[in-house]
Amino acid sequence: MKSKATLFFNAFLVIVFVLAFTLPASAGKTYKLGMSLAITGPTSDAGNPYAKGAEDWFKFVNETDYLGDGDKIDCPIRDDQYKNDTTKRFFEEFLDDGILIFLSYATGGNLALKRDFEEVQIPVIPASYHEGLIVDANYTFMPVATYSENAVGLAEYITENHQGDNIPQVAFFIHPSAFGRGPLEDTQKAIAEGMKIEIVEVVEHGTDLDNTAMLQRLVSKGVQYVICQTVQTPVATMLTDAQRLGVTAGSFGEKGKLTFLGAHYTGGSDLIALAGTATEGYIWADSYNLTSENNEGAKKQLELAKRYDRDDKAANSHNYGAGILAAQIATEAIKMAKSADLKVTRENLYKMLQKMNFNSFVAAGPVTYSETERIGVDVQNIYIAQDGVFKKIQSFESQYIQKVRAGR
Amino acid sequence: MSQNRWLATGNFFTSYKQEQRTFFTHLDRTIFTCFLVILFGWPLVFEISNKYMLVLDNILIAIVAVMGLNLLLGFAGLISIGHAAFVGIGAYTVASVCQVIGENHVIVTHFWPVLIVCAGIMGAIFGAFVGLPALRLKHLYLAIATLSFQMIFEWVIQFMSFFNQGQTIYVGRAHWLTGQVGRSDHYLFWYYIILTIVVILGFGVRNLLKTKYGRCLVAVRDNDRAADAMGMNPGLTKVYAFALAGFFAGVAGALHAYLYRGVGFESFTLHASVGYLAMAIVGGLGTLNGIFWGPVAIKFLDIQVEQFSEFVGQYLTSAPNVATALKPLSFGLVIVLFLMYEPRGIANWWRIVKSYTKLWPFRY
Repeated sequence: MKSKATLFFNAFLVIVFVLAFTLPASAGKTYKLGMSLAITGPTSDAGNPYAKGAEDWFKFVNETDYLGDGDKIDCPIRDDQYKNDTTKRFFEEFLDDGILIFLSYATGGNLALKRDFEEVQIPVIPASYHEGLIVDANYTFMPVATYSENAVGLAEYITENHQGDNIPQVAFFIHPSAFGRGPLEDTQKAIAEGMKIEIVEVVEHGTDLDNTAMLQRLVSKGVQYVICQTVQTPVATMLTDAQRLGVTAGSFGEKGKLTFLGAHYTGGSDLIALAGTATEGYIWADSYNLTSENNEGAKKQLELAKRYDRDDKAANSHNYGAGILAAQIATEAIKMAKSADLKVTRENLYKMLQKMNFNSFVAAGPVTYSETERIGVDVQNIYIAQDGVFKKIQSFESQYIQKVRAGR
Repeated sequence: MSQNRWLATGNFFTSYKQEQRTFFTHLDRTIFTCFLVILFGWPLVFEISNKYMLVLDNILIAIVAVMGLNLLLGFAGLISIGHAAFVGIGAYTVASVCQVIGENHVIVTHFWPVLIVCAGIMGAIFGAFVGLPALRLKHLYLAIATLSFQMIFEWVIQFMSFFNQGQTIYVGRAHWLTGQVGRSDHYLFWYYIILTIVVILGFGVRNLLKTKYGRCLVAVRDNDRAADAMGMNPGLTKVYAFALAGFFAGVAGALHAYLYRGVGFESFTLHASVGYLAMAIVGGLGTLNGIFWGPVAIKFLDIQVEQFSEFVGQYLTSAPNVATALKPLSFGLVIVLFLMYEPRGIANWWRIVKSYTKLWPFRY
């Protein structure tokens, strides 16, 4: 009896052992991706919710068997603290691990690695929308409209809505780097193509905590519009100073006052949190659907955030949505490759990305790429800050940016 | 010196020449040779990932830069808070050549040893120029003068379109006897090149310190008036100390440019300068082996803290943002602790170990 019991017990152990090793094997494939961004350090106010968005989407994909066949995505997220050298190290680590798509972050880091991306032929989805990333580059797939499109688009919006016979007098308030200067240069090219605005002054901001002199100077020069291409903090400081000085326009283009407008990283719920009522009337161009719009897309974003216990700040951030979109693009590429019965490799994902056309609940329009097109969402929404939230005024696609690109 | 050239049992030098030997015993020389053989031979035995090769290459480049800083700060007693700017001068020398003749021009890809030397010379010229205030300034005032050079460097790079306003300027792939160095061999190739340069420059520094020029540096550091009275030229010594530091930094910058295949402004900021200072202090100012210990310790600390930050970040989210503070906190703490408890740096631990083994198993 005793030996029989031992035999059964041993047989049971063998079955458990075999199952333990065979079940995971039949549970589907795991596709490796890699993400490097600034979760801490400079610009982490954007990078932190961005990382959360991507992380939550991949969790959702894995938990709901979104890819089918039990396939999963493994995407380690590394904190490069906005340092290019660190980003390079992480990129090399990811390549050693055999990742299929690289989800990158800053303008500087992407430009530094641009040659590597082309050399190893790896599809890249950046968080930076700097136009230079897709110039002479095949493997970078920009999720949404570029900063240049934002800036040129805002300039077009000014020309269309400006009251009065004079040419709109515009100042640029920009980040002292290629991130800030690139869109300015493209706006100047658009002016050369015939756009009717005049750039009176360009302010490359530092870390000033007081903009009184600068704002008074702009008013004295007859500037009516200030287009911002930087991050939220300096914009918040400027808006607060403008409110204190009483130079903020009460209505769009009010004479003798300043109407403030800005591109992707200058606006959002974080700007309202920083500048409070000084944000009222701020015009913002962005390609993301905001949770303040209270539509189906917004509900889905909030549901995802709730599912993974994110706080309100992260859940309502457009950067959280941006992280979701980057992760969605990578996910859709894998899904497309699977649907086409192709092996999920870098090469095939690159092919799939070039055929991509899908609607994301976080984006203002469809994500489409082609063999020549490297910008996913071309549609931009113009938002205005009213009663403590950004409200959509209209959707549009920049016309002049096409002329600028054609002239390159 | 003991009669036995294999084992030293104490410091019994009988002549000045004996004290000036690079290796005091045959054992020292043998151990050093074995160490070099291991450094050059291990990549042929063990396969290591690109990520770690990049880290090792970075450490070696930092060693080259810190060699210069240690000559300036440790041996000549002249402070510089703009060392990263000198490194940047070297890197931007290579970048400028790429801007003018193209990143894949034969001069960039085939004559890279010449470019590396040119970058060093350019660093030396800038070093000598920045060192001119050292003729009149000392201590804190000199520190501010070098800091201003750092600021001017950053401003010029960020605003001049020739330097791509600080954004990456690409550098072509180097060629070797076997043709273009491909991606798979890139980090290994530069490991050997940088290691060779480290060894050559290391011996250079060692030998410099035996010469009257090297002794001038130490004399000026200890008392420049006394050095002047002894017939040395303190002014010239200070300027050439800066030029030497600039040369080492320039070489390090050029190596950085080739390793990363591009030059971007962010690698040469004030933060990087402070990093080099920390490496020199932690390694041990005015010591030869401290030049090697410092970069190794700081770079590995950096990576360990980075991994710990990520671990902490998983449990403590952005609200307290502990992870953000952890890196500068640990970095600052290490410097403060070394300054308080071991101002002679890790090199002093090495000295203690050597002294102990020299007398083992006997003691004083």
